[in-house]
This record gives sequence, C-alpha cells and structure tokens, in this order.
Amino acid sequence: MASPSLSIGCGSAYANDRLQPAFDLARSGRVQYMGFDCLAERTLALAQMRKLADPSKGQDERIADLVPLVAEFTDSGGRIVGNFGAANPAAAVGEFVDGLRRAGRTGVKVAIIEGDDVFDIAVHEDLELPELDTSTQAIRDQIVSAHAYIGAEPIVEALERGAQLVVGGRLADPSLFVGPICHELGWSLDDWNRVGEATLVGHLLECGVHSTGGNFEDPPHRVVPDPWNLGFPLADVTADRAVVTKLPGTGGAVDSRTARTQIYYEIHDPQHYLTPDVTADFSSVRIEETGRDMINVSGARGSARPSNLKALVGVNRGFKGVGEITYGGPGCLDRARRADEILRHRLATIGDDITDFRIDLQGWNSVFGDAYRPVDDVAEVRLRLAIQARTREAAAAAVYEVEYLYFGPAGGGGVVTSVTPHIAVTPAYIPRDRITTRVEVVTT
Amino acid sequence: MKLREIAYARSGDKSDTSNICVFPYDDSDYPLLVREVTEDRVATLFGNLVRGEVTRYEIPANAGLNFVLTKALGGGVSLTLRSDPHGKSFQSLILDMDIDVGSA
Repeated sequence: MASPSLSIGCGSAYANDRLQPAFDLARSGRVQYMGFDCLAERTLALAQMRKLADPSKGQDERIADLVPLVAEFTDSGGRIVGNFGAANPAAAVGEFVDGLRRAGRTGVKVAIIEGDDVFDIAVHEDLELPELDTSTQAIRDQIVSAHAYIGAEPIVEALERGAQLVVGGRLADPSLFVGPICHELGWSLDDWNRVGEATLVGHLLECGVHSTGGNFEDPPHRVVPDPWNLGFPLADVTADRAVVTKLPGTGGAVDSRTARTQIYYEIHDPQHYLTPDVTADFSSVRIEETGRDMINVSGARGSARPSNLKALVGVNRGFKGVGEITYGGPGCLDRARRADEILRHRLATIGDDITDFRIDLQGWNSVFGDAYRPVDDVAEVRLRLAIQARTREAAAAAVYEVEYLYFGPAGGGGVVTSVTPHIAVTPAYIPRDRITTRVEVVTT
Repeated sequence: MKLREIAYARSGDKSDTSNICVFPYDDSDYPLLVREVTEDRVATLFGNLVRGEVTRYEIPANAGLNFVLTKALGGGVSLTLRSDPHGKSFQSLILDMDIDVGSA
C-alpha cells in the first residue's frame, strides 16, 4: 500500500499577490490543496481601518476575483486554506458563500476560524510592547487593532469537519500548510518533529515566488529564466520527505540556492524558529536537487510550541507625508542639499504637530546613509522628505513645502507628494491559554 | 575581494529586526565566510543603520550564516520613515564587505 501523501501549493503570499499563478496551479490538476497567505505585518491594521470605516469591509480585497478559482478547484475535489479574513473573517466567508452560490455552487462546505482578534485583551489589560518601550495601557487611545497569530489546530479541526474552503483571520503563514499536511498524513500536532517538518514545507511555500527565484536575481552572479513569469511553489509531501517544485513552463528556478535563501528567511535562530505550532529546528535541513526545478527537503525537527502567542498591535500614529523632487546634471547634489536646508527652515514654521521627519537624497544616501559610498558624484538625485504628523493638515503643509521647491533651488522637477494615515504595528505576547479559537462550518 | 564575488544573501524583516542570511556559491568557501563575516564586521559595515545587537548563527549543514540585527529598521517596518522600510536592500550592503581570501 502506498504511504499517505499530499500535494499542496501556494496560492498567495501577500494581500496584493498576482492571481494568475494561483489560477494556473488550481487548474493544473497538480495539487490537492492550496494555501493562501494574504497578510503581511501591516495588512491587518490597514484592514482594521477599513472595517472601522465600513463594518462590511476589512477582509481580503480579492475575494470576488478568487471565487471562480475556489469554485473550479473545489469542483475537482481540491481544498483551500487561507487567511482571507484579515480583520473581518465573517465578511470574507459571506462574500465567498454569496459568490459561490451565484456561480451555481451549492453544497460547498466553508469553515470560518475566529478568535485571533485580541483587541479586548490589548485595551483592557496591560500588555508589554517591547519594541516601543511602552505598554498597551500607556497608549490605549492609539490602539486600533490587535491580532494573535493562530496555528494549525483549528485548521485541522475544520478539515476534519469536511471543510473545502477554510477562512481565518491572522492564521500564521506556515500554519496554512501545516494544517493540511498534518490532517492528510495523520500527523499529530504534538509530534514536534513532524510538525517541524510540516513547518519547513509551509515556510517554503508561504512566501510564494520567493521560493521560485523571486527576490533572488543579482546579475551577473544570480540569474533565473523568465523572471517575468514566476510560478508559485508546490510540494509533494510524504512521511519521508517533501519534494518542492513548480509547474513546468513557469519562470524562475527551484534549486538548493533558492531553497536556502527561503528556508533561512526571517526565522532568526535556525534552531528555534518560533511559530504558534512548534519551535522548529531548521539547522540540519538537507536539500537535494533531484531534477530540473525540483528539490527534496528533509531533516527539519521540532520541540514544544511556545507557551505565548505573538500578537501584532496596530497603533495609530497620525499621518505620514512623503514628498519627492528630482535634481539632475552638474551640481545636482549641491542643489539638493540647499533644498534640504530650505525645507528644514520651512518645517520649523509648521510647529509641534510634526513629530518626526527625515530628508534623504535618493541616489546618494537614502538606503544606506553613509554606510555605502562608491562614488563621489552622481548624475541625478531625488530628494525625499518623509514626515510623521499628528494631524493631516500638518502633514499636508509639510509636503507642500516640497512642492514649493519648484521655485528653487534651480531645476527641481517631478514633484510627487502623498499624505496617508500612519498605522504602525508592534509585537506583543499573550499566554496561549488566554486565546480561544472557534470553528464554524457553513454550507453554500 | 568583495563578498558579493563569492556569496549570495537575502534579507527579511520582523518589526524592527532584520534577518540576513548569507551563503557561499561554493560550499568550500564556508570556513572563509565564518572567519571573515563576523558579528563585529557586520556591525561596523552597517554603522548607525543598526541601533541594537548583531547576532550571528552558524548553519554548517547548509554552509550558511544567519545574521539577526535588532533595532535595525528605524523603529520597525510600519513605523520608520526610511525609504526602504523592510531593509530589503540590506542583502546588498552585506555583500559589499571586503573579504581577505589569503591565508584561509
């Protein structure tokens, strides 16, 4: 008898990811499951702001476009897990259910996972915010959202209950894949080594094209084929190993180099990668190239999951203004520096509502400051003012000063300005037993 | 020689912490990387871009070094006013390190 296996692919790596590679994978017949990660750190806080403005909003904004994918994929027996809910899982499920019904799909089981919203804990208790050197009570009025990272447990429950589409809020990125893998292969969620292996696969899939040659090229040293058509990664997982690859005919590359850069991406201590599911150990992972754009990965381990869940607290910082203007040709750097001086004088007249600002010269020092300086002159430079302000008016007044640089120094051009709400997110840690998730299954 | 001639890297972010992993193109250069690309040299290279600590994790199984830089993103991806809030470009700065390939 063949040992259990499953094929699972990535459908999205962030809130604005391309849809075509997801449709290609869904229609390929190559995978039984797809995981959709729709959230980056700030996505949820921004979604929460949309929900505050309109209680029917705050979910992923691509759901209407994804309904045909879900319809076709579930027609062929496929199952999907995604954090499409963002700040409003109920609205996401409502939109999916309505869309699937309109597409003539009745009887599709859709699960909703709730419980990640920990706003009440954040505003009623005093959680430390270590990166801000403060706590939630001290800045209570500024807190707009708080969401805890939820692991695979409720995902497995939803799949056990027959869900074909599982929708949550802040489901942790790798858990979107850990849930299906453990469910299909019968791995217990407290078998830490198994969960470590599943987390490795999840980590290789969750970032989408980051595993297939995205964010990789550095010509002439690193070049991948057809980077304009990167495919999403997929994995065939068995008890012994995972084979990671991508659809034939898509661009990019899957090899030991692309795998290494993704496996150790954003995990900090390779022996202690903390997720809601496990403390994963990727230090001894083996990567073998077994074919064109195909690798075997094995050797991940794990130990007990962390006792605290990480949460991200959204903080209203007022408004952010950005203004840019370009100087080119002889003396451009000197003119940009004169513009910098003018701006500092003008910003001083706006007053206390400006809480922070910086002025950089793109092409000269905007990315690395003084840390990288290969040349002593440039052909052109773009001044960038970025400011944080208590009020929209102050932010607008500040970026107007960049526009006014049209009147000198000489030759400034191409002004672009923007003013946007400035929502920051910062981590907090909450004991796991304080957070209760709920799974509900509805049928279209 | 610049590190970029013999190694590749990727940087990522978690709030105000940057994670940069570095690998040699040829695994036999791993001992050279261990010797040359030290915490101190990374801290010096990044200068005041990084206000916290630089910690290096060695990954001999995959010939990799993983650097964790705290207080490295101007207060955090969503908080900073920097033009590259994620520090996506940090992978390129670390590859600008001068490497002494002699007496390995």
